[in-house]
Amino acid sequence: MTDDATLHQLLSRVAMQDRAALRGLYQASAGRLLAIVHRMLDDRGAAEDVLQDTFITVWTRAGQFPALRTSPMAWLTAIARNRAIDVMRRRRPETPLQWNDADGQEQQHDARDESGSPLEQLLAHQAEGRLGECMGQLDDEPRAAVKLAYFEGLTHDELAARLQRPLGTVKAWIRRSLMRLKDCLGEPA
Amino acid sequence: MNWHQHPDLLDRLAAEYALGTLHGGARRRFEAVMQAHPDVARAAARWHERLAPMDADLPPLPAGDALWARIEQRAFGAASAEPAAPSASAGQRHRDAPSLGETVQRWWQRWLAPIPAGALALGLLLGLVGPGLWPLLQGERDESQLPESYIGVLSAADGRQGLIVSSLRRGRTVDLKQVQPAQVPAGQTLFLWTLDAQGVAQPVGPIPSGAFTHVPLDREADAMFARAVELGVSLEPVGTRPAQPSGAYVYRGLCGKMWRVVPTAPGSSASR
Repeated sequence: MTDDATLHQLLSRVAMQDRAALRGLYQASAGRLLAIVHRMLDDRGAAEDVLQDTFITVWTRAGQFPALRTSPMAWLTAIARNRAIDVMRRRRPETPLQWNDADGQEQQHDARDESGSPLEQLLAHQAEGRLGECMGQLDDEPRAAVKLAYFEGLTHDELAARLQRPLGTVKAWIRRSLMRLKDCLGEPA
Repeated sequence: MNWHQHPDLLDRLAAEYALGTLHGGARRRFEAVMQAHPDVARAAARWHERLAPMDADLPPLPAGDALWARIEQRAFGAASAEPAAPSASAGQRHRDAPSLGETVQRWWQRWLAPIPAGALALGLLLGLVGPGLWPLLQGERDESQLPESYIGVLSAADGRQGLIVSSLRRGRTVDLKQVQPAQVPAGQTLFLWTLDAQGVAQPVGPIPSGAFTHVPLDREADAMFARAVELGVSLEPVGTRPAQPSGAYVYRGLCGKMWRVVPTAPGSSASR
């Protein structure tokens, strides 16, 4: 895995309009970014479009990166995720209540029975390291809400419909879960 | 809403922005605030870092050369591969003789290597400054001939000289000379920044159009430029005062101090 120091160097050269550095950055990070975006969009073509937009943004805004004092990969991921969220919101104006199962059959989301659904797969997924531990300390439903929000880009309204819970409940879950995660994760090293 | 009076609210919004639950008008407004306030952008960046491990175990997908070729086309205007058959590509103007481009690129890259500060201020500045200014850099000159000044010679990305920037150390004006006329799109203006040793940008002000122009300062140049290692110029919308550049620098160069610096103690580096 390319380490942060290499990405930092590549980014500072990209800020100086070094084309070879942009290519180097692509080689070092595009695979991971594509995987992240593809999981959100579930469409290779759309994911590649988002990657294009991401690297164009990086090309023009690499000069802003140092002021953020953050890790290069987190910044690249943030750009890619934001683009992907834009795409998802544009193409999905209505609340999604259906999903396709492994046989391609359309299923209705039902909070009482989500067996085999993407939600169940999401719930089974454990984040790495400290974040994973902190997520484990959340209650099941709030944790599910956080995961659905992160991986599927659902808004509060969409989460409420998916989880069949009142909007206010879902908003409170998200807010409290994020603050609990922050406390659990502590200050940066 | 004064963000600085409501740091908790700001942090909660930053968290929901990073998570993805902020949407519609609220999301767009938050993005606008991030552009104008670096501390808000940093709060959001911090939240992205906290949540990043959610994706860490995902196996990468092969991104491929075809995708890179499309990015290259959009970013640079033309593929930087070997020159193909003559095509009516808009990117041709970016491609001067390859060897010159390579030379310029290496020269720019050298700027980023760690260089002792003294060498930066004197050595590289000598390389940039034309013969007319060379005598002024010889330390033995009578100081009364040149008032203490900040001077920067800024180049464009292709290495050509673009701007000469100067300011009396105790003055409240920055003088600018456009060595070559700049192409400024309608509705935009050139905007001057200082960059410190970490590359963090501070706004100075918009640059009026014209060959010889001035930017007024609200305090002495010393207060503005003492920590500046470089100066940068970006393109910004007319009438705005951004907190950080909205795009890449169109001109960039070292900010030099043109006065004799006396060491404060034997063996210590020159005072700054």
